[in-house]
Amino acid sequence: MAGQAQVLAIVDRGYRGAIEKQFVDTLYLVRELHRQMGGMDILLRGQAVSYAARAARVAPLRFGDRVVETLSDPRRDVRALLDAGIRVRAEEPGLLASGMTGGEQLLEGVELIGAQAAAESWSEYRMICFL
Amino acid sequence: MALMARRIPTTDVLVTFMGAPHRTDLTTTVLRLVQSMLEQGGRVQVWACGYATMLTQQSLGEFKPRDLADWSTRHLSTATIVQEMLRAFPDQLYWYGCRFCSDDRGATDHLPEIAMRAPHAYAANLAATGKTVLIGVI
Repeated sequence: MAGQAQVLAIVDRGYRGAIEKQFVDTLYLVRELHRQMGGMDILLRGQAVSYAARAARVAPLRFGDRVVETLSDPRRDVRALLDAGIRVRAEEPGLLASGMTGGEQLLEGVELIGAQAAAESWSEYRMICFL
Repeated sequence: MALMARRIPTTDVLVTFMGAPHRTDLTTTVLRLVQSMLEQGGRVQVWACGYATMLTQQSLGEFKPRDLADWSTRHLSTATIVQEMLRAFPDQLYWYGCRFCSDDRGATDHLPEIAMRAPHAYAANLAATGKTVLIGVI
């Protein structure tokens, strides 16, 4: 079993181009960095906490006569991170700001963490990066 | 001999689209707004400025590069999406690009349907619309 990840990636800005990015968004990058950097944990903060909202759905959009069903889907991406063995935590203030009331509204496997505990965890890593 | 000025078809709305893609969901919002107006029968012109000129480059190709984690799924480029909107709504949608912003960013080869315009020609587009919505900053 892999040990503690040496890198913590903090994602706090969300929704950066559903139609132009589609699959290749921040969380897609995380999967690759996780592989190349030997392990990475993720902390979702602020708006990005809603990436892990269990009830959220991405609707297809029509442009011209074409229905585009391949838009960015952060929930799909978070699930892919969890499947890749990445630890995903979501900070409580962002959860509350998103209108959620508790960790049970997050995707299964995503851990809820308080802001102070999240900040204290930074010292456990060799590298903190903001993605 | 004086050059003949391009005739700008009159539209209900001019969307001056200045915001950069890949930073926020602005591009998605603008395209949804335009599509919605077109579906309601509106006539719309888009003037792409700043980094929004990058969206219609021929070099983007029909599709985005493949998803290495999902090789069989193809993803349309923004150039294709704009082109399909123009084809779906002929005589309703017109897409202009700011030549200065485009040249300034090295984006010089656009879809043939995109009319490139000099910045000083913007006034003619303003004069050819009922309302103007300016979205984003360069």
